[in-house]
Amino acid sequence: MTISESLFESLRMELRRGSLTLAVLAQLRQERYGYTLRKALAERGMEIEESTLYPLLRRLEAQGLLASEWREEEKRNKRFYRLNEDGERMLGQLLDEWQALNAAITASLGVDGPMASAGKGDANG
Amino acid sequence: MELLDRYLEAVRKHLPWERQDDIIAELRANLEAQLDEKAAGLGRPLTTAEMEDWLKTLGQPIQVAAGYQPQRYLIGPAFFPIYWYVLKLSLGWAAVIYSIVMVVTLFAQGTPSATEWVGAIARMPWTLMMTAAWVTGIFVALEYAVMRKGFEIKGFAAASQCWSPGILPPIASRGQGGKKPRSFAQAVAEVVFGILFLGWLLLVPAHPYLIMGPGAYLLRQSPFTISPALMQFFWCIVALNIFQLGWKIVDLARGAWRIRSRAQHIVLSVAGLIPVGVFLAVPGHLWVLLKHPELDQAKYGATLDAINGGIYKSLLLIIAIVVVQLVWEILRTIRDAYRKRATAMA
Repeated sequence: MTISESLFESLRMELRRGSLTLAVLAQLRQERYGYTLRKALAERGMEIEESTLYPLLRRLEAQGLLASEWREEEKRNKRFYRLNEDGERMLGQLLDEWQALNAAITASLGVDGPMASAGKGDANG
Repeated sequence: MELLDRYLEAVRKHLPWERQDDIIAELRANLEAQLDEKAAGLGRPLTTAEMEDWLKTLGQPIQVAAGYQPQRYLIGPAFFPIYWYVLKLSLGWAAVIYSIVMVVTLFAQGTPSATEWVGAIARMPWTLMMTAAWVTGIFVALEYAVMRKGFEIKGFAAASQCWSPGILPPIASRGQGGKKPRSFAQAVAEVVFGILFLGWLLLVPAHPYLIMGPGAYLLRQSPFTISPALMQFFWCIVALNIFQLGWKIVDLARGAWRIRSRAQHIVLSVAGLIPVGVFLAVPGHLWVLLKHPELDQAKYGATLDAINGGIYKSLLLIIAIVVVQLVWEILRTIRDAYRKRATAMA
């Protein structure tokens, strides 16, 4: 991996880290257990490693944003997670923040802006 | 499945004991569901090699377990910047104090040998490591008491609250000739090397080869010798070095090491003229003498005159250069002061 690739990877991870929590909270408006949540995220383009996702679920539960329940499904005991009331509220606040950030970035990348042309240049290779 | 059991057992060992069963049960359910899906996709159970490859993608058991541990650090972000600053400062001062104590101790016991010097220098890293260990230990204790146990230290919170931009020091202007301000490490290094240089200088009278190299041997074999009157010059050089070193240490203590002021330059240049004057004042300008003038005067008298004459001319040249530099420095100081006053009045 070249220095520039490794730098990109590190910045990409940094960028994803914050949005990961948002994506998990958004998916848990519907009850899921760990593996189906991971699959649902992957189907929506948000690949996430087991070693990151499963501890994250525990942390979000400890922070009071998720409710969990052990239940049998397909002859296996599974732990199902779902947003609780505080989680719903937090998701709303985070989504507002996300949209504001998105709008700010989009505005910064205005059609005639230097960043936009830089981005186009990169995209075109 | 046996491989998965072994993997989960290895993860369990590194989990917080009170949540081990719960976490392993959840992890097992998730991984088994994934495994079932893989097997359904292949239409057969996974082979041992395929199982191994899959478990490898999950990561090492200790890393998987680490995700379930609370974040751990010895010194957290609240204390780390202060810790780092104090550590750098302590190491700098430890190096300075150690050097001074060593030089004083060695000379108090008589003229130190080269082995004693090497021993003293070799012990310095140990002193610095001990200093770093103490500073780190104190901050680890602070982190534990304040951040984890909620212990309140009187004045700490107040000190962080009463900070104001108004108390920040003024920006250090660039030095003469636009030179970059010196860093703390550079200033400490100057003091440490100044002390070592002083030690080396003090050894020169007993071991002239330290300054003259093989020339010391040649001088001993030659009919010439250095005038004893030059010892006054030597002690002047030693005094000048002690003076400069003291000034640097005071600057360090005052936190004023970044830029050496023009006044400081002038004072040091004037002080530098004193040993030159003492050198010039040697009676008859005879810096080099004959060991046995009654025997060698006829043979080496002309050579001796040429040597002393050459030294005299060189000395005059050095004095001329130093004086010109000094005058130039003084004129620039006067000009800068005049400009500053004119700007203030405008």
